[in-house]
Amino acid sequence: MSTAQFVQYLVSGVTQGSIYALIGLGFTMIYAVTRIINFAQGEFVMLGGMLSFTLAHSLGLPLAPALIISILVASLVGAGMYVLAIRPAKNASVVSLIIITIGAAIFIRGLAGVLWGVDAVRPPVFTGSNSISFLGAYIHPQALWIIGTTVVVTIIVHLFLSYTMVGKALKACAINPVASSLVGINPRTMALIAFVLAAAVGGIGGVVMAPLTLTAYNVGIMLGLKGFVAAAIGGFKSPLAAVFGGLLLGIVESFAVAANWGPFTSAYKDAIALIVLMLILLVRSGKLAEEERAG
Amino acid sequence: MSGSVILETRNLTKAFGGLLALDKVDLSLQAGKITAIIGPNGAGKTTLFNLITGVYPVSGGEIYFQGGLLNNVPAHKRASMGIVRTFQQVHLFGNMTVLENVMSGRHPRSSYGFWEAALRLPKARREEESISLNAIKYLNLVGLGTYAEQDALSLPLGQQKLLAIARAMATDPRLILLDEPGAGLNTLEKRQLSDLIRNIREMGISVILVEHDMPLVMGLAEWVIVLDSGQKIAEGTAAQVQKDQKVIAAYLGEDVE
Amino acid sequence: MLAWLKSKWAYLAISALLALVILVPFDWFLGRYTTLMIFIGIYTIVTVGLCLLMGYTGQVSLGQAAFFGMGAYVSAILSKTYGVNPWLAMLIAAVMTGAFAYIIGYPIFRLKGNYLAMATLGLGLIMWILFRELSYFTGGPDGMSGIPYLSMGGFIFNTPFKRYFLVWFFCLAVLLISQNIVRSRTGRALRAIHGSEAASESIGINVDQFKVKILVLSAVYASLAGSLFVHHLRFVSPQPFDFLASVKLVVMAVIGGLASVWGAIFGAGATRILSDEILLRFGQWDIVIYGLILVLVMIFMPGGLFVKLKELFERLRLRYRQRGVEH
Repeated sequence: MSTAQFVQYLVSGVTQGSIYALIGLGFTMIYAVTRIINFAQGEFVMLGGMLSFTLAHSLGLPLAPALIISILVASLVGAGMYVLAIRPAKNASVVSLIIITIGAAIFIRGLAGVLWGVDAVRPPVFTGSNSISFLGAYIHPQALWIIGTTVVVTIIVHLFLSYTMVGKALKACAINPVASSLVGINPRTMALIAFVLAAAVGGIGGVVMAPLTLTAYNVGIMLGLKGFVAAAIGGFKSPLAAVFGGLLLGIVESFAVAANWGPFTSAYKDAIALIVLMLILLVRSGKLAEEERAG
Repeated sequence: MSGSVILETRNLTKAFGGLLALDKVDLSLQAGKITAIIGPNGAGKTTLFNLITGVYPVSGGEIYFQGGLLNNVPAHKRASMGIVRTFQQVHLFGNMTVLENVMSGRHPRSSYGFWEAALRLPKARREEESISLNAIKYLNLVGLGTYAEQDALSLPLGQQKLLAIARAMATDPRLILLDEPGAGLNTLEKRQLSDLIRNIREMGISVILVEHDMPLVMGLAEWVIVLDSGQKIAEGTAAQVQKDQKVIAAYLGEDVE
Repeated sequence: MLAWLKSKWAYLAISALLALVILVPFDWFLGRYTTLMIFIGIYTIVTVGLCLLMGYTGQVSLGQAAFFGMGAYVSAILSKTYGVNPWLAMLIAAVMTGAFAYIIGYPIFRLKGNYLAMATLGLGLIMWILFRELSYFTGGPDGMSGIPYLSMGGFIFNTPFKRYFLVWFFCLAVLLISQNIVRSRTGRALRAIHGSEAASESIGINVDQFKVKILVLSAVYASLAGSLFVHHLRFVSPQPFDFLASVKLVVMAVIGGLASVWGAIFGAGATRILSDEILLRFGQWDIVIYGLILVLVMIFMPGGLFVKLKELFERLRLRYRQRGVEH
């Protein structure tokens, strides 16, 4: 493999991985604060992209307001999902909550299918489509937007969680919900904030990704799964680890397809994420068995 | 039967990471007697129970039951060997009736399996008869016979604890470990509990109990072992232990409840 | 619950059910719903296994469609491509699926809660991808057709009417066997595990072994259903075995009531009628409404529709009895 090819695959992997990273970030925030796996996470990404298409392309709004409104609407959907579907469920079991978030995902996806139809759409790119040459490889400017946005969002989220009151309250709630409620942190408010933030981050991912990779009403499923794997790599606890996980997954996918080795044709590309997931779970189950034996 | 040792531990040690919960404890318990294990909070009493019943693996040392090494026997095999316990948190089967809880206790003493159950073969039906009858017998032993068809969790705490004992008794044990059976009971209930424990001893079953209620323990126990910070600091009859300086010091060192 | 079952109301209900089941496929009764009822019967078989797994041991499976699909594809491939006797193929499929469940059972049950759910989800998706991509065997995304009918001697199950009775024979057999298991020592052990794993171990129940056994049982049921499925449609494709299918199975189990065996008919029936008959009329809006219903059912009736109805029935019965006493 030449340097140029290597760089090409690397960039492609990092670009794709950045999307997974953002989605994984959303999963991690919600899981850490509420212990819920939000199967609708991918749908927030889908909404971001679809809305930006309607606003920027169909309605001809200028780019910046279109993007901002799309992200806000996605955040509102996240809030709505929490208030209407999660909060009323009170002491629901793990299974019930899983089905509720799946139901919400199906609802959002179905609504998107009705409103936008089944065809793929492409919102306008941010700064043109002239590929930039780098070490022999060609990088689409939108890819730079994707990577850059992910870096910025990651930094902002990290600073938010570490240095603001609300962020620190969220962290506290994630570490110990009982203790934090005793010092006046309302777990339901924290859960709402977690959902809104996760939806916002998802929406951001959607608006920045859609001009490059197209989007349609059903992209949420696979994206959600890959973002989930990213979060799983991060152990569902650390947002930074989820970002790392997403990038890792993107790069592994990219090089696995590049190697064209055995079963890893592009048809099996999606399976890579699954295999990574099963490996993580296997390792975890192995560790649990070790703990039991060692006592 | 009396005069023989039913449970013995040598250098029994249990560590959780860096924390030493039990430190080279040697015990030798007589069969057919009621032995109490007391000690301040965190002394290692429940850990000892968990090692004897196989919930945790041993970190060091050996446990012998009726002369045989117990260390690597899986937890679920110990009931058929004759070791059973109750829990501090009771742990009843909330999705069953009172009677069904006790019938579950017959599990190690019954044997019909999947196919006999699925096809309702005669062996299954016969064993079910016997399981029912035995369960009713043990339910009556603890005085809960009239509550047989009620939901297990509908009973007040005191009776739930009795039910847990009935369930444990249904395994036909040689040794029963009671983990704080008196916690949360009122005076009348504690008296009923004492009578029950004495009945169990009369049936030839060895009893080990962990308790914080001193009058209850001193009235029942024929032998008392005192643990503190994972070590055995005294043992003897109730009267001997009460006067032991080390025991008094250990208890004075902890906050009055 | 035991008391309810022994009451004469239970016998009445089951006799009515049996009569209904036997009469349905006749044209003068509900004949036009025969095909729907065949699917309800098939899905009931899968649902019972899931109810036992989720309701009795408290484990979750978001990948049950994998077992369903394995039974379907093994039956299809063996009987169509290799000319194996369909009954033998069905048996082989059940054994293979059961063995697969046994192999993954011990490692997978070390995981708990959300992690267990994700592992089952992952396995289900992997199987679906295999169904889709191993096209040499499976016919790929377009599937394979021309799967032979089941037959006994000269009697071929080549009409919906005949297959209806075949499917419901198996369905009722599975329900009866499951009912027997639940009321036995094995059933108590399963419920005990759900109640408290620690206490179960202390009375001699090998928790890990039971969990795996019930997983294997649910897998065998699903495989059987899968075989019946392909011998009815004479066609197999990956589409009915995707993630959404596993979700639908969980919904069927939940609506039927996780701790209920006979409720499985209700759960499978309600879900199929909903998606096949009712939602069809809403065109594109069908999955929107489906999602909405899912959310609402789980919020307001997490114990299952069937259980709610049983509660109502009990309350009416008590009121009826009280009135009798007053007079």
